[in-house]
Amino acid sequence: MFNKDNKLERFKDAETIIGASVKVKGNFQGQGNIIVEGALEGSLKTNANLYIGEKAQVVANIEARTAIINGELRGNVKARGYLAIGETAKIFGDVHYGEISVDKGAVINGQLLMLAEEHKRGESKKTEEKENELEK
Amino acid sequence: MHVYIYDDYLNKSRYNKAINRMEIRLTDLGLNGKIIRLGGIKNIKGTVQNEVKLGAKTIIAVGNNQTVNKIIGAIIDTDIYSDFQKKTLLGIIPIGDDNSIAASFGIKNEEEACNILLARRIKKIDLGLVGKHYFLNQASIQSSGTILDIDDYSLEIQERGEIRIINLLSNPKEIIKSSPHDGLLDISINTRRKDQTFLTVKKVKITNPNEKLIIDGVLEIKTPVEVEIMKDKVNVIVGKNRLFE
Repeated sequence: MFNKDNKLERFKDAETIIGASVKVKGNFQGQGNIIVEGALEGSLKTNANLYIGEKAQVVANIEARTAIINGELRGNVKARGYLAIGETAKIFGDVHYGEISVDKGAVINGQLLMLAEEHKRGESKKTEEKENELEK
Repeated sequence: MHVYIYDDYLNKSRYNKAINRMEIRLTDLGLNGKIIRLGGIKNIKGTVQNEVKLGAKTIIAVGNNQTVNKIIGAIIDTDIYSDFQKKTLLGIIPIGDDNSIAASFGIKNEEEACNILLARRIKKIDLGLVGKHYFLNQASIQSSGTILDIDDYSLEIQERGEIRIINLLSNPKEIIKSSPHDGLLDISINTRRKDQTFLTVKKVKITNPNEKLIIDGVLEIKTPVEVEIMKDKVNVIVGKNRLFE
Protein backbone atom coordinates (compact mmCIF):
# COMPACT_ATOMS: atom_id res chain seq x y z
CA MET A 1 0.00 0.00 0.00
CA PHE A 2 2.68 2.48 1.00
CA ASN A 3 5.93 2.78 -0.91
CA LYS A 4 9.41 3.52 0.42
CA ASP A 5 8.64 7.23 0.79
CA ASN A 6 5.57 6.48 2.87
CA LYS A 7 3.25 7.64 0.11
CA LEU A 8 0.33 5.89 -1.42
CA GLU A 9 1.10 4.62 -4.90
CA ARG A 10 -0.77 7.41 -6.66
CA PHE A 11 -3.52 6.48 -9.11
CA LYS A 12 -2.78 2.77 -8.77
CA ASP A 13 -4.18 2.18 -5.33
CA ALA A 14 -6.28 5.24 -4.57
CA GLU A 15 -9.99 5.04 -5.33
CA THR A 16 -10.40 8.71 -4.51
CA ILE A 17 -8.02 11.61 -5.10
CA ILE A 18 -8.87 15.15 -4.05
CA GLY A 19 -6.53 17.39 -6.03
CA ALA A 20 -4.99 20.66 -4.86
CA SER A 21 -7.51 22.78 -6.82
CA VAL A 22 -10.52 21.20 -5.21
CA LYS A 23 -12.39 22.13 -2.04
CA VAL A 24 -14.65 19.50 -0.49
CA LYS A 25 -17.41 20.56 1.93
CA GLY A 26 -19.55 18.09 3.86
CA ASN A 27 -19.34 14.54 5.10
CA PHE A 28 -17.09 12.56 2.83
CA GLN A 29 -17.24 8.81 3.25
CA GLY A 30 -15.33 6.25 1.19
CA GLN A 31 -14.67 2.51 1.20
CA GLY A 32 -11.30 2.63 -0.52
CA ASN A 33 -7.99 4.46 -0.24
CA ILE A 34 -8.16 8.24 -0.28
CA ILE A 35 -5.55 10.88 -1.12
CA VAL A 36 -6.25 14.48 -0.11
CA GLU A 37 -4.05 17.19 -1.62
CA GLY A 38 -6.66 19.98 -1.56
CA ALA A 39 -9.02 21.45 1.04
CA LEU A 40 -11.69 19.63 3.01
CA GLU A 41 -14.25 20.90 5.51
CA GLY A 42 -16.63 18.64 7.41
CA SER A 43 -15.75 15.02 8.11
CA LEU A 44 -13.82 12.29 6.36
CA LYS A 45 -14.15 8.58 6.92
CA THR A 46 -12.77 5.53 5.14
CA ASN A 47 -12.37 1.85 5.98
CA ALA A 48 -9.05 1.83 4.14
CA ASN A 49 -5.98 4.03 3.92
CA LEU A 50 -5.76 7.81 3.93
CA TYR A 51 -2.95 10.07 2.75
CA ILE A 52 -3.07 13.80 3.50
CA GLY A 53 -0.57 15.71 1.36
CA GLU A 54 1.81 18.45 2.43
CA LYS A 55 -0.30 21.32 1.05
CA ALA A 56 -3.67 19.92 2.08
CA GLN A 57 -5.85 21.94 4.46
CA VAL A 58 -8.32 19.82 6.34
CA VAL A 59 -10.86 21.17 8.83
CA ALA A 60 -12.60 17.95 9.79
CA ASN A 61 -12.71 14.96 12.07
CA ILE A 62 -11.10 12.12 10.18
CA GLU A 63 -11.19 8.37 10.58
CA ALA A 64 -9.29 5.69 8.66
CA ARG A 65 -7.70 2.30 9.06
CA THR A 66 -4.22 3.60 8.30
CA ALA A 67 -3.28 7.25 7.80
CA ILE A 68 -0.33 9.36 6.79
CA ILE A 69 -0.60 13.05 7.57
CA ASN A 70 1.75 15.59 6.02
CA GLY A 71 -0.56 18.62 5.81
CA GLU A 72 -2.61 20.79 8.14
CA LEU A 73 -5.47 19.20 10.07
CA ARG A 74 -7.86 21.06 12.36
CA GLY A 75 -9.94 18.33 13.97
CA ASN A 76 -9.56 14.95 15.59
CA VAL A 77 -7.93 12.03 13.85
CA LYS A 78 -8.57 8.36 14.51
CA ALA A 79 -6.44 5.69 12.84
CA ARG A 80 -7.33 2.22 14.06
CA GLY A 81 -4.10 0.82 12.68
CA TYR A 82 -0.92 2.72 11.88
CA LEU A 83 -0.71 6.52 11.91
CA ALA A 84 2.31 8.30 10.45
CA ILE A 85 2.72 12.01 11.13
CA GLY A 86 5.23 13.63 8.78
CA GLU A 87 7.60 16.52 9.47
CA THR A 88 5.36 19.04 7.65
CA ALA A 89 2.19 18.00 9.51
CA LYS A 90 0.29 20.43 11.72
CA ILE A 91 -2.44 18.85 13.79
CA PHE A 92 -4.79 20.88 15.99
CA GLY A 93 -6.94 18.22 17.63
CA ASP A 94 -6.81 14.90 19.43
CA VAL A 95 -4.96 12.00 17.89
CA HIS A 96 -6.26 8.43 18.38
CA TYR A 97 -4.05 5.67 17.04
CA GLY A 98 -3.24 1.99 17.10
CA GLU A 99 0.43 2.50 16.31
CA ILE A 100 2.13 5.82 15.68
CA SER A 101 5.27 7.43 14.31
CA VAL A 102 5.95 11.15 14.51
CA ASP A 103 8.68 12.84 12.45
CA LYS A 104 10.84 15.64 13.83
CA GLY A 105 9.26 19.01 13.05
CA ALA A 106 5.66 17.86 13.21
CA VAL A 107 3.28 20.07 15.22
CA ILE A 108 0.66 18.38 17.37
CA ASN A 109 -1.62 20.52 19.50
CA GLY A 110 -3.91 18.03 21.22
CA GLN A 111 -3.95 14.78 23.13
CA LEU A 112 -2.26 11.61 21.93
CA LEU A 113 -4.51 8.69 22.81
CA MET A 114 -3.63 5.10 22.08
CA LEU A 115 -6.62 2.94 21.21
CA ALA A 116 -7.23 0.01 23.57
CA GLU A 117 -4.67 -2.74 23.17
CA GLU A 118 -7.40 -5.33 22.73
CA HIS A 119 -9.15 -3.23 20.13
CA LYS A 120 -5.86 -2.85 18.31
CA ARG A 121 -5.24 -6.60 18.33
CA GLY A 122 -8.73 -7.22 16.98
CA GLU A 123 -8.14 -4.73 14.21
CA SER A 124 -4.77 -6.18 13.22
CA LYS A 125 -6.32 -9.64 13.07
CA LYS A 126 -9.15 -8.35 10.87
CA THR A 127 -6.65 -6.50 8.68
CA GLU A 128 -4.49 -9.61 8.31
CA GLU A 129 -7.53 -11.68 7.42
CA LYS A 130 -8.61 -9.13 4.84
CA GLU A 131 -5.12 -8.97 3.35
CA ASN A 132 -4.92 -12.77 3.25
CA GLU A 133 -8.27 -12.87 1.47
CA LEU A 134 -7.09 -10.28 -1.02
CA GLU A 135 -3.86 -12.22 -1.65
CA LYS A 136 -5.90 -15.34 -2.32
CA MET B 1 -32.02 -11.21 -38.36
CA HIS B 2 -29.36 -8.48 -38.61
CA VAL B 3 -30.49 -4.94 -39.25
CA TYR B 4 -27.87 -2.46 -40.45
CA ILE B 5 -28.74 1.18 -39.91
CA TYR B 6 -26.66 3.47 -42.13
CA ASP B 7 -26.40 7.07 -40.98
CA ASP B 8 -27.39 9.76 -43.47
CA TYR B 9 -23.87 11.22 -43.86
CA LEU B 10 -22.76 7.94 -45.44
CA ASN B 11 -24.59 8.98 -48.64
CA LYS B 12 -21.51 11.07 -49.51
CA SER B 13 -19.35 9.50 -52.22
CA ARG B 14 -16.19 9.60 -50.11
CA TYR B 15 -17.57 6.82 -47.94
CA ASN B 16 -18.41 4.52 -50.88
CA LYS B 17 -15.15 2.58 -50.70
CA ALA B 18 -15.47 1.92 -46.97
CA ILE B 19 -19.09 0.81 -47.37
CA ASN B 20 -18.18 -1.50 -50.28
CA ARG B 21 -15.40 -3.07 -48.24
CA MET B 22 -17.73 -3.57 -45.31
CA GLU B 23 -20.53 -5.08 -47.39
CA ILE B 24 -18.15 -7.51 -49.13
CA ARG B 25 -16.75 -8.58 -45.77
CA LEU B 26 -20.25 -9.05 -44.30
CA THR B 27 -21.22 -11.21 -47.29
CA ASP B 28 -18.05 -13.29 -46.92
CA LEU B 29 -18.85 -13.89 -43.26
CA GLY B 30 -22.53 -14.69 -43.94
CA LEU B 31 -23.71 -11.72 -41.90
CA ASN B 32 -25.97 -10.16 -44.50
CA GLY B 33 -29.13 -8.51 -43.29
CA LYS B 34 -31.61 -5.75 -43.83
CA ILE B 35 -30.21 -2.30 -44.61
CA ILE B 36 -31.97 0.87 -43.51
CA ARG B 37 -30.60 4.21 -44.69
CA LEU B 38 -31.47 7.08 -42.36
CA GLY B 39 -31.04 9.58 -45.23
CA GLY B 40 -34.61 9.37 -46.39
CA ILE B 41 -36.25 8.67 -43.04
CA LYS B 42 -37.79 11.32 -40.81
CA ASN B 43 -39.12 9.04 -38.08
CA ILE B 44 -35.93 7.34 -36.91
CA LYS B 45 -37.49 6.24 -33.61
CA GLY B 46 -40.43 4.57 -35.32
CA THR B 47 -38.19 2.81 -37.82
CA VAL B 48 -35.80 1.41 -35.21
CA GLN B 49 -38.62 0.40 -32.87
CA ASN B 50 -40.40 -1.37 -35.72
CA GLU B 51 -37.32 -3.48 -36.45
CA VAL B 52 -37.11 -4.55 -32.80
CA LYS B 53 -40.81 -5.47 -32.90
CA LEU B 54 -40.21 -7.52 -36.06
CA GLY B 55 -37.64 -9.55 -34.12
CA ALA B 56 -34.25 -8.10 -35.05
CA LYS B 57 -31.56 -10.11 -33.21
CA THR B 58 -28.85 -7.52 -33.84
CA ILE B 59 -29.17 -3.85 -34.65
CA ILE B 60 -25.95 -2.51 -36.08
CA ALA B 61 -25.17 1.20 -36.08
CA VAL B 62 -23.16 1.95 -39.22
CA GLY B 63 -21.66 5.41 -38.81
CA ASN B 64 -20.25 7.30 -35.82
CA ASN B 65 -21.00 8.26 -32.19
CA GLN B 66 -24.13 10.13 -33.21
CA THR B 67 -25.49 7.09 -35.06
CA VAL B 68 -25.07 4.99 -31.91
CA ASN B 69 -26.71 7.68 -29.79
CA LYS B 70 -29.62 8.01 -32.26
CA ILE B 71 -30.31 4.28 -32.02
CA ILE B 72 -30.04 4.19 -28.25
CA GLY B 73 -32.25 7.28 -28.01
CA ALA B 74 -34.86 5.55 -30.20
CA ILE B 75 -35.14 2.56 -27.89
CA ILE B 76 -34.46 3.53 -24.29
CA ASP B 77 -37.49 4.53 -22.23
CA THR B 78 -39.93 3.24 -24.84
CA ASP B 79 -42.48 0.41 -24.79
CA ILE B 80 -40.21 -1.91 -26.76
CA TYR B 81 -37.17 -1.41 -24.51
CA SER B 82 -37.74 -4.56 -22.44
CA ASP B 83 -37.95 -6.62 -25.66
CA PHE B 84 -34.79 -4.94 -26.92
CA GLN B 85 -32.90 -5.65 -23.70
CA LYS B 86 -33.91 -9.32 -23.67
CA LYS B 87 -33.62 -10.22 -27.35
CA THR B 88 -31.57 -7.68 -29.26
CA LEU B 89 -27.86 -6.88 -29.35
CA LEU B 90 -26.31 -3.60 -30.42
CA GLY B 91 -23.40 -3.75 -32.85
CA ILE B 92 -21.29 -0.90 -34.21
CA ILE B 93 -19.49 -0.49 -37.53
CA PRO B 94 -17.49 2.75 -37.41
CA ILE B 95 -17.06 4.70 -40.64
CA GLY B 96 -15.42 8.13 -40.79
CA ASP B 97 -14.49 10.42 -37.88
CA ASP B 98 -15.98 10.91 -34.41
CA ASN B 99 -15.96 7.25 -33.46
CA SER B 100 -14.74 7.29 -29.86
CA ILE B 101 -17.54 4.94 -28.74
CA ALA B 102 -16.46 2.24 -31.21
CA ALA B 103 -12.83 2.77 -30.16
CA SER B 104 -13.83 2.22 -26.51
CA PHE B 105 -15.35 -1.10 -27.50
CA GLY B 106 -12.14 -2.10 -29.28
CA ILE B 107 -13.54 -1.60 -32.79
CA LYS B 108 -11.00 0.23 -34.96
CA ASN B 109 -12.41 0.10 -38.48
CA GLU B 110 -15.20 -1.31 -40.60
CA GLU B 111 -13.46 -4.57 -41.52
CA GLU B 112 -12.48 -5.36 -37.95
CA ALA B 113 -16.05 -4.51 -36.91
CA CYS B 114 -17.38 -7.26 -39.21
CA ASN B 115 -15.11 -9.86 -37.58
CA ILE B 116 -16.22 -8.64 -34.15
CA LEU B 117 -19.88 -9.02 -35.15
CA LEU B 118 -19.17 -12.61 -36.11
CA ALA B 119 -17.40 -13.36 -32.81
CA ARG B 120 -20.40 -12.00 -30.85
CA ARG B 121 -18.55 -11.15 -27.66
CA ILE B 122 -21.27 -9.53 -25.54
CA LYS B 123 -21.05 -7.09 -22.63
CA LYS B 124 -23.83 -5.44 -20.66
CA ILE B 125 -23.11 -1.74 -20.72
CA ASP B 126 -24.28 1.04 -18.39
CA LEU B 127 -25.59 4.30 -19.74
CA GLY B 128 -25.11 7.76 -18.28
CA LEU B 129 -28.27 9.83 -18.01
CA VAL B 130 -28.51 13.63 -18.07
CA GLY B 131 -32.10 14.80 -17.92
CA LYS B 132 -33.70 12.90 -20.80
CA HIS B 133 -30.45 12.32 -22.64
CA TYR B 134 -28.44 9.12 -22.43
CA PHE B 135 -24.72 8.91 -23.11
CA LEU B 136 -22.16 6.17 -23.49
CA ASN B 137 -18.78 7.88 -23.24
CA GLN B 138 -18.77 10.97 -21.04
CA ALA B 139 -20.17 14.36 -20.13
CA SER B 140 -17.78 17.27 -19.62
CA ILE B 141 -17.77 20.87 -18.39
CA GLN B 142 -15.21 23.61 -17.70
CA SER B 143 -14.02 23.29 -14.12
CA SER B 144 -13.67 26.94 -13.07
CA GLY B 145 -16.65 27.96 -10.94
CA THR B 146 -18.29 24.55 -11.11
CA ILE B 147 -19.89 22.97 -8.05
CA LEU B 148 -20.51 19.22 -7.86
CA ASP B 149 -23.04 18.03 -5.28
CA ILE B 150 -22.63 14.36 -4.39
CA ASP B 151 -24.49 12.55 -1.59
CA ASP B 152 -23.65 14.42 1.60
CA TYR B 153 -20.85 16.62 0.29
CA SER B 154 -19.92 19.05 -2.45
CA LEU B 155 -16.83 19.83 -4.51
CA GLU B 156 -15.88 23.35 -5.57
CA ILE B 157 -13.28 23.96 -8.24
CA GLN B 158 -11.86 27.43 -8.87
CA GLU B 159 -9.01 26.62 -11.27
CA ARG B 160 -9.53 26.49 -15.03
CA GLY B 161 -9.57 23.02 -16.50
CA GLU B 162 -12.01 20.27 -17.36
CA ILE B 163 -14.36 18.06 -15.38
CA ARG B 164 -15.31 14.78 -17.05
CA ILE B 165 -18.03 12.43 -15.86
CA ILE B 166 -17.03 9.17 -17.48
CA ASN B 167 -19.02 6.04 -18.17
CA LEU B 168 -16.87 4.60 -20.92
CA LEU B 169 -13.27 5.68 -21.54
CA SER B 170 -12.51 6.67 -25.12
CA ASN B 171 -8.76 7.26 -24.95
CA PRO B 172 -6.49 4.23 -24.52
CA LYS B 173 -3.74 6.49 -23.10
CA GLU B 174 -5.81 7.45 -20.04
CA ILE B 175 -4.10 6.57 -16.78
CA ILE B 176 -7.36 6.22 -14.90
CA LYS B 177 -9.35 3.02 -14.73
CA SER B 178 -13.01 3.09 -15.63
CA SER B 179 -15.55 0.38 -16.23
CA PRO B 180 -18.83 0.83 -18.15
CA HIS B 181 -20.52 -2.02 -16.30
CA ASP B 182 -19.80 -1.30 -12.63
CA GLY B 183 -22.89 0.85 -12.06
CA LEU B 184 -20.71 3.87 -11.29
CA LEU B 185 -19.67 7.11 -12.94
CA ASP B 186 -16.04 8.16 -12.69
CA ILE B 187 -15.38 11.85 -12.13
CA SER B 188 -12.01 13.08 -13.35
CA ILE B 189 -10.95 16.71 -12.86
CA ASN B 190 -7.81 18.04 -14.54
CA THR B 191 -6.83 21.67 -14.02
CA ARG B 192 -4.11 23.97 -15.32
CA ARG B 193 -2.21 23.42 -12.08
CA LYS B 194 -1.78 19.87 -13.41
CA ASP B 195 -3.29 18.31 -10.35
CA GLN B 196 -5.79 15.53 -10.74
CA THR B 197 -8.94 14.70 -8.84
CA PHE B 198 -10.64 11.37 -9.22
CA LEU B 199 -13.66 9.81 -7.55
CA THR B 200 -16.53 7.45 -8.32
CA VAL B 201 -20.21 8.23 -7.78
CA LYS B 202 -23.68 7.00 -8.69
CA LYS B 203 -25.20 10.42 -9.06
CA VAL B 204 -23.92 14.00 -9.22
CA LYS B 205 -25.57 17.40 -9.55
CA ILE B 206 -23.56 19.87 -11.61
CA THR B 207 -23.94 23.62 -11.27
CA ASN B 208 -22.14 26.34 -13.22
CA PRO B 209 -24.15 29.39 -14.35
CA ASN B 210 -21.53 30.31 -16.96
CA GLU B 211 -20.79 26.98 -18.61
CA LYS B 212 -22.75 24.19 -20.28
CA LEU B 213 -22.37 20.47 -19.85
CA ILE B 214 -21.36 18.74 -23.09
CA ILE B 215 -22.52 15.16 -23.67
CA ASP B 216 -20.37 12.84 -25.79
CA GLY B 217 -18.73 15.93 -27.30
CA VAL B 218 -21.92 16.91 -29.14
CA LEU B 219 -24.94 17.95 -27.10
CA GLU B 220 -24.83 21.05 -24.84
CA ILE B 221 -27.01 21.21 -21.73
CA LYS B 222 -27.51 24.10 -19.30
CA THR B 223 -26.83 23.55 -15.60
CA PRO B 224 -27.88 22.88 -12.85
CA VAL B 225 -28.39 19.33 -14.01
CA GLU B 226 -28.18 15.85 -12.53
CA VAL B 227 -26.06 13.11 -14.05
CA GLU B 228 -26.68 9.53 -13.02
CA ILE B 229 -25.85 6.01 -14.10
CA MET B 230 -28.28 3.40 -15.35
CA LYS B 231 -26.79 -0.06 -14.92
CA ASP B 232 -26.67 -2.74 -17.64
CA LYS B 233 -28.97 -0.93 -20.04
CA VAL B 234 -27.66 -2.21 -23.38
CA ASN B 235 -26.13 -5.48 -24.60
CA VAL B 236 -23.30 -4.52 -26.92
CA ILE B 237 -21.10 -6.67 -29.16
CA VAL B 238 -17.54 -5.68 -28.24
CA GLY B 239 -14.01 -6.42 -29.48
CA LYS B 240 -11.37 -8.17 -27.42
CA ASN B 241 -9.21 -5.03 -27.51
CA ARG B 242 -11.84 -2.96 -25.69
CA LEU B 243 -10.70 -0.38 -23.10
CA PHE B 244 -12.25 -2.16 -20.12
CA GLU B 245 -12.46 -5.62 -18.54
